[in-house]
Amino acid sequence: MRFMMLMIPEGYEKAAPGTIPDAKAVAAMMKYNEALQKAGVLLALDGLHPPSMGARVSFPGGKPRVTDGPFTEAKEVVGGYWMIQVRSKEEAIEWASRCPGSDTEVIEIRQVQEMSDFPADVQEAAAGLLELQAQTGRRKGA
Amino acid sequence: MRVLVLIKADKDSEAGVLPDEKLLAEMTKYNEELVQAGVMLAAEGLHPSSKGARVRFAGGKTSVIDGPFAETKELIAGFWMWQVKSMEEAVEWVRRCPSPEGAQVGEIEIRQVFEMEEFGPALTPELRAQEERQRAQAEKLSKAARR
Repeated sequence: MRFMMLMIPEGYEKAAPGTIPDAKAVAAMMKYNEALQKAGVLLALDGLHPPSMGARVSFPGGKPRVTDGPFTEAKEVVGGYWMIQVRSKEEAIEWASRCPGSDTEVIEIRQVQEMSDFPADVQEAAAGLLELQAQTGRRKGA
Repeated sequence: MRVLVLIKADKDSEAGVLPDEKLLAEMTKYNEELVQAGVMLAAEGLHPSSKGARVRFAGGKTSVIDGPFAETKELIAGFWMWQVKSMEEAVEWVRRCPSPEGAQVGEIEIRQVFEMEEFGPALTPELRAQEERQRAQAEKLSKAARR
């Protein structure tokens, strides 16, 4: 089963553009990432720049409306994520609990939808998706 | 640059309501365009938060709370990872995203992804090498994990 572990750092909604995590925090997190990788559960991970460098698009009446960050009314925003492959939700929770999180951080664990989770007719309708996912690759940088 | 494009939850996604055939077809077409344009890196849906949990770290002890979580608007229902030249390009793609008819206003959040270079001195050469190795291994595992 695949799970997303979403890091929700309190106050990140207020972080200025260009905010970078401090060296100690990065080092501690890298040790944790190494443990995930050595255990063979790590599928992907990324940090996200603050929402002040992002944008939101809503679709009132079906028409796109763009708002640039920051989003001052937001109470919780994602700061980063890991995608892991484990045998159960309990195992995912165990891994999340091992993260060197601080008092102001919460990790939300969410199960990733697999094609096999859906009824047959939905699987058929979305048949292109698996192939589409297989075609994509991960590229770095600009 | 890479962007993580977050599809925010709404009461339907939290209730496990699946998109209808029409929306599914539109989404598949949209995803295909993203692939053809060389923009698509990943696309995943998440099960409702009722199947999830949250872990808090307070005073060195962890506590676990089972979903669902109340702040629906802040929750995520799915995401894409895209490779784009700019935020403007990402916004243009999101503008074109199919949205369900008559649904509550769905919201999409676009977030820039940290690349290694951007961590500055915090990422020592050793950590950088470690990170590269982690990503390469994770990518291999990720390709095998899809089914």
